[in-house]
Amino acid sequence: MAQIFPKWADEVPQRLLLGLIIFMTALVAGIWYYFSPEYKAVGYAPEQPVPYSHQLHAGKLDIDCQYCHTTVFESQFATVPPTQTCMNCHAQIATDSPKLAKVRESWETGEPIEWIRVHNLPDYAYFDHAAHVNVGVGCESCHGRIDKMEVVYQAEPLSMSWCLDCHRNPEKYVRPVDEVTTMGYKAANQLELGRKLVAKNNINPPTYCQTCHY
Amino acid sequence: MSEETLKPNYWKSLGQLAKNEEYEKFLHREFPENGSELTDDVSRRSFLKVMGASIALAGFAACRRPVQKILPYTKMPEEVLPGNPLEYATAFPFMDALEGITVENHVGRPVKIEGNRLHPGSGGKTNIFGQASILNLYDPDRSKFVRRDGQRSTVEDFRKFCADYFSDTGRRIAFVAEANSSPTYNRLEDQIEEKFPNAQWITYEPFGENNALEGTNIAFGQRLRTINWFDKAKVIVSFDDDFLNPASTKNSVENTRQFADGRRVMATEEAMSRFYSIESTYTLTGSNADNRLRMKTSDIEQFLYALAAELSNSVSGLSAFSGYSNQFSDHEWIPVLTEELLDNRGDSIVTVGRMHNPDLHAVVSAINKALGNAGNTVTYNEAPHLSDRNNQIRFSELVDELNNGNIDAVVFVGTNPVFTAPADINLEGALSNAQQVIHLSDYYDETSSEANWHVNRAHFLEAWGDGFSYTGIRSIVQPQVRPLYDGVSDIEFLNMILTGEQGNAYDLVQETWRSFYPNNFTTQWEQTLHDGLAGEEIFPEVSVSISGNFNARANEFTAKKESSEGIELVIRPDDTIFDGRFANNAWLQELPKPMTKITWDNVALMSKKTADALGVEAAGLGKAEVEVVSITVDGTTVKIPAWVQPGHADDSITITVGYGHEGMGRVADRAGVNTYPLRTTEHMLYATDISVENTGTLYEIACTQDHHSVEGRSILRHATLQEYRENPDFSSYFEAYGADLPGEAYAEEQGADSPLSIFDAMNEDEYPDYEPQWGMAIDLNTCVGCGTCTLACQAENNIPVIGKREVSRGREMHWIRTDRYYDGDIADPIALHQPVPCMHCELAPCEQVCPVAATTHSEDGINQMTYNRCIGTRYCENNCPYKVRRFNFFNYSEEFLTDGDDPEIIQMAMNPNVTVRFRGVMEKCTYCVQRVNRAKINRDIETDGRTMKPVDGSVHTACQQACPADAIYFGDISDPDSEISRVKQNNRNYLMLEELNTRPRTSYLAELRNPNPKLA
Amino acid sequence: MSTDYQYVPEPKLVKGDHTFGSITELITRTPLSPTPKLWYLAFGLANILLIALLGAITYLIWSGIGIWGLDNTVSWGWAIVNFVWWVGIGHAGTLISAILFLFRQGWRTAINRFAEAMTIFAVMCAGIFPAIHVGRIWVIYWVFPIPNQMGMWPNFSSPLLWDVFAVSTYFTVSLLFWYVGLIPDFATMRDKAKSKMAKISYGIASLGWTGSFRNWWHYEKAYMILAGLATPLVLSVHTIVSFDFAVSQVPGWHSTIFPPYFVAGAIYSGFAMVLTLMLIARKIYGLEDIMNIDIMEKMNLVMMLTGNLVAFAYFLEGFIAWYSGYIYEQGIFWLYVVGPYAWGFWILMFCNVITPQFLWFKSIRRNVALTFIISIIVNIGMWFERFMITVASLATSFLPSTWDYFSPTFWDILTYIGTFGLFFTFFLLFLRFLPMVAIAEVKGAMPEADPHNYDDETKEFIEGSMEPAMVKQEKTV
Repeated sequence: MAQIFPKWADEVPQRLLLGLIIFMTALVAGIWYYFSPEYKAVGYAPEQPVPYSHQLHAGKLDIDCQYCHTTVFESQFATVPPTQTCMNCHAQIATDSPKLAKVRESWETGEPIEWIRVHNLPDYAYFDHAAHVNVGVGCESCHGRIDKMEVVYQAEPLSMSWCLDCHRNPEKYVRPVDEVTTMGYKAANQLELGRKLVAKNNINPPTYCQTCHY
Repeated sequence: MSEETLKPNYWKSLGQLAKNEEYEKFLHREFPENGSELTDDVSRRSFLKVMGASIALAGFAACRRPVQKILPYTKMPEEVLPGNPLEYATAFPFMDALEGITVENHVGRPVKIEGNRLHPGSGGKTNIFGQASILNLYDPDRSKFVRRDGQRSTVEDFRKFCADYFSDTGRRIAFVAEANSSPTYNRLEDQIEEKFPNAQWITYEPFGENNALEGTNIAFGQRLRTINWFDKAKVIVSFDDDFLNPASTKNSVENTRQFADGRRVMATEEAMSRFYSIESTYTLTGSNADNRLRMKTSDIEQFLYALAAELSNSVSGLSAFSGYSNQFSDHEWIPVLTEELLDNRGDSIVTVGRMHNPDLHAVVSAINKALGNAGNTVTYNEAPHLSDRNNQIRFSELVDELNNGNIDAVVFVGTNPVFTAPADINLEGALSNAQQVIHLSDYYDETSSEANWHVNRAHFLEAWGDGFSYTGIRSIVQPQVRPLYDGVSDIEFLNMILTGEQGNAYDLVQETWRSFYPNNFTTQWEQTLHDGLAGEEIFPEVSVSISGNFNARANEFTAKKESSEGIELVIRPDDTIFDGRFANNAWLQELPKPMTKITWDNVALMSKKTADALGVEAAGLGKAEVEVVSITVDGTTVKIPAWVQPGHADDSITITVGYGHEGMGRVADRAGVNTYPLRTTEHMLYATDISVENTGTLYEIACTQDHHSVEGRSILRHATLQEYRENPDFSSYFEAYGADLPGEAYAEEQGADSPLSIFDAMNEDEYPDYEPQWGMAIDLNTCVGCGTCTLACQAENNIPVIGKREVSRGREMHWIRTDRYYDGDIADPIALHQPVPCMHCELAPCEQVCPVAATTHSEDGINQMTYNRCIGTRYCENNCPYKVRRFNFFNYSEEFLTDGDDPEIIQMAMNPNVTVRFRGVMEKCTYCVQRVNRAKINRDIETDGRTMKPVDGSVHTACQQACPADAIYFGDISDPDSEISRVKQNNRNYLMLEELNTRPRTSYLAELRNPNPKLA
Repeated sequence: MSTDYQYVPEPKLVKGDHTFGSITELITRTPLSPTPKLWYLAFGLANILLIALLGAITYLIWSGIGIWGLDNTVSWGWAIVNFVWWVGIGHAGTLISAILFLFRQGWRTAINRFAEAMTIFAVMCAGIFPAIHVGRIWVIYWVFPIPNQMGMWPNFSSPLLWDVFAVSTYFTVSLLFWYVGLIPDFATMRDKAKSKMAKISYGIASLGWTGSFRNWWHYEKAYMILAGLATPLVLSVHTIVSFDFAVSQVPGWHSTIFPPYFVAGAIYSGFAMVLTLMLIARKIYGLEDIMNIDIMEKMNLVMMLTGNLVAFAYFLEGFIAWYSGYIYEQGIFWLYVVGPYAWGFWILMFCNVITPQFLWFKSIRRNVALTFIISIIVNIGMWFERFMITVASLATSFLPSTWDYFSPTFWDILTYIGTFGLFFTFFLLFLRFLPMVAIAEVKGAMPEADPHNYDDETKEFIEGSMEPAMVKQEKTV
């Protein structure tokens, strides 16, 4: 009797199989990369109401982080500086710069400047600056080379596994506490120094859930 | 009473209303914004510029990354350290007694109330009202603006009106005011009475102290405040006095602390007070009695006289009763009580319920005097603000004068008499005869709608004020936040009437205090602000002596032999919403009543026998609906659900008032039944000639406990003091079950300290030595069962309110509940309370079964619940033997937080350090991990990383910190010297369901009772 | 003395006067003939229920688990009850096709295709529940061990996780098994089909089957291997489902007899369901010759056996509760009998303990009407068994203060009824388009399949040339 299917139909199953395998692999790989914080979060650089340049202040003028982010050693927040802080200098310097219009306005009206949050952890993840800087986790370890940023952007993924990397082997990252705010700090032998510091400050970074989630 | 009017469908309907946003929310982010993030709208109103962020979400584009704003200060205030909360001392005014508190203030937002440790009254403790009062601050239903004849107006308009209207000093003004101990307030009061010669001032409280004051007046010829010092008493005899219940007494915190101190027994040789309770309804206090006699309230007067008569044979000062006798004279209790009281002269307390008529108070005072208790265990002190006339009488006079047109203006300061006044006083009608009715109140309530002027009052956390604690310790009330709705404080209100200027409460209070601190005012003022009190000096104690005409009066009232045939009706303030002023507080509405465990409703309590006579069936497992009875007093009928209360006196029905508001707020309205119509001037406490019928209609009650017997399971272990002394280890597993703990013998062979488990392998070196090991112990002996822990936990941990319907489905969210069991004959059982938080088992059954490892164990021994990992299989809940886990069946937090026209306002009450849980996740007690972690981090920093173990006693869980009985111990069990370790060494220490080998970190100290063997 | 025994031939598996050809006719007739009105009616009904199910699930995901009657005490309710019930039903198919195949039970051929189909659809219904009963279905993929940026694995010690693997494996294997068995029949359909559409679709499904010796050789091997794989699964699935309960420590759950007890119960309910469906189908599609009374009786015997195993398990539970001296176990068992759910317990006792006893009587075993009724009662009983285990045990566990009473809401009920929509939608499609009896296999079980000892004229076995297995002779001297 007449054949229903042409000859090439015999090939179809194998080819389908092959295609499926390729497709699935691509799918997994795609999700793996594109749905990751590395891809989604890193590089987020919103435009701020005031074109404040860290490159200028922290880099060129080499102002210490703590001049503005005053509470970083005592509080869970590093604190976005009050308008006051800006005015300390800008009462004298660049008093009529159009860039600073918003700052002066805020100073007069008392209405705060609405900065856009760059490093944005979910509400269910608690991060405490004091707990980290006091044991020698450098600013740049999480925020990157701020002193090189004209506009601040997110330099690290801030994903859970990224946090765990350091919590599991702190010796790879910690530095002397007085070097915390230093940008571009390089230890001669990080591992050796790290081990010393971990022992000295007996750093035992917890890795259980309630360290951050509660 | 139709089904419709009965069923508050308030929260659910809100839920449906919120569904839409809710769904978008879940698209946007997993967990809703928590308290740390406020919209501009709120922050503009708040006291300081708040650092937070608003969800400026641009539709679905924002799915990837919600843009958050950071609003820094423009000028950083000195003391503020964003992220670290500040604690300010202030005081919580409850009627005319202040409770010393401190307020945790997160960058301008008061979020948590604690007791003021420096205050000898509160001693760092609080009660349910103190804890819940913070929610009133953020209540979106609070009156938000001044109203004139119901139309929106402004404070300025009202001021103008005052300046104009009260310029005529001849006005005949009647002031009806809440009891208030504030010196400033009373200073203004005097000035007003001075300025307006025709003004009269009436202090009106529906459950005031007046009868007690009159009692002392009869006995000692002076209106004095009676202060019982329960910690000093060896024997306590209470006639219907619910002195541990905040709803029945102004200083429940103090009473509970002292009572608990008198009961605390940590070793066999230690003494324990003996407490006799004679009462009709089974009260919270009665449930702590060693010997309890259930007796109709209407009989108690006679019983008391019988006792007085018996005593008069042995002590002088009661001669009026010598030879007197009545039907109770040969009651078996009389000789026993007499003997006890005589054996403990000077060390005993006799006390009577606040609402009993002055006669009983007089006799009780006389007895205390005669026994030599006065001056030792009971003191009579002179409080300056307690007016020297009988308010109740004057209140009814007022109505007559109104009707005779002798009054131009009525000014209500804070009270809600249209709702609370005795039914026979037709205030509503009378008010129409006044030109002006002015009403200052928190809510636009029943009285407000009768008033020409309604002025919205500022919450005590928003306004300056002052006052005295119950015993007379002076404090300043300092605001924590600028008035959210521009409310006016009592002081400013009076000042406007007096001067026509609003003035500034701050200045007015300072003015008063300058007289207390004539020299170096500023330092002393600041010291007082800092400490929250001005020294420990209390009201001057008066050394009393029986007044001449006492005997005469005594003969009068012993002459009347009130017969108490038939059923009586007893009217009491409600356990959780008091006289109705807390009716719109959702936390209190949802807090189970200490004895009945009912929420969101008031019921008619009666004994099994009485219920059977009425054909009323008890609710229970699978039966949430109960019969509604109609109660008629003097022709007024009220229909109310009937509830069988084991241990209630027969032929007696107890109802509570405060429910059934109309137009007060979304929480208060349609919750419960208004029973004030049954309360008349003659029957302020009880009515005897009443008629009760079973209407046969059914009504659903949301009760959080359906079964009341321990079923012979030894989960709540208790013994008498005698048994304890004979057998100190009575609470061990062996003593409880007469058998060894399963697996114990083998464990000993193996040299293990507790039975082995297949999960042990997983536990090896789980607890590193640099971590503290947290543990808790709950002393059932001092725990009185008041439920303060539950509310403290709710406030600290952002626990949502879910509404009556959800509670009746058995979905209550409280992380720590108080189980109440009855033991013995249903007619007259003893009641036992057991607070149950998460046990934080070392071998937690919940942890083994979670498929996604959302609940695991921390290195410091806490059973962790990771909300953001939970997928909600609820397997952990099934496998938890203690059933302490709570599931978000709906998006409760959303429904609770975004409520009504001011969606974010309640968010301000949220603790920014605790995640607000989303729909579909499990939650439970965390041992207040946010406090624990903060303490560890701080300790780590201040010791330069030497240790992260906080100093013993530096970490308190919310429940522990609030507990007025100090029944909860918490700390590091790896430190042998810590308090918790010592407590766990006590031989009363036992583990609930120890045989399951879950190894709970939370243990219990078995309960002791000290009954008189003669009454056994 | 000596006794002489008569030869009693094994009754023919296929009744009536059938040849291979007529069998093929009989079975392929249904899929190839135009759709009957009745089918449309039934299908429409099933679809309505299916839509109801989808509606219920949508509303559930929209508003939360709270629409069900669950609470803090009874956190698992109808969803889990239905899950276990459907999985149980899903047992008969693979048992019949795999285990009976390995035991060379010829009679299985009459119903194996039918039962396997039922199995697959039942497991689909079951699979829905664990998925939708979680609080946050949008993150349910966390139960699968996928590498992720959280650095988190699922908790491999959780029975729920074992469930995920057990049920999905069982479903996959059952599906494969079923499909492999279908291939030769697809070819038959392809060759008999008239319309082009049918030819093509059956053609694709038959994967180019030619009926050559090599085809058959591979087929037999594949079928044998799959049968071998499926056999342990039949036992493992419900064993692991029972672990959800047995491994936890809730009184009434924490019991070592659960695995065998659950498996027995599963087969019990599975056979009941097969019977229910078979008795309807054989009538409507005139398959009395193939799905005949002998088959029915054999299945009744299996039900009688498993039914009594289950009854024995109940008895053991009670005994162990008493013997263990474990007060909570005693408490829960006592509460089963007299507690708030006693009504459920007594329904269960009647359905699962009393009912199977009727099957001791041959007359009842061979009575279609009664068997039909019994099969339905048994399935009701098995649902209540799961209800008692899941709900009643949770409702009254360790602390009396937490005791609570579960009552279902409208949505609980709708979701359950809805799953019948899903089941019958698929089952009706199966009846309509696929051969509901394994044509090739049933032929293999006919005398004609055996070329020897067979007389073409008489269509009878030739005396004296019996296979030893068929001889029943004994001589005593």
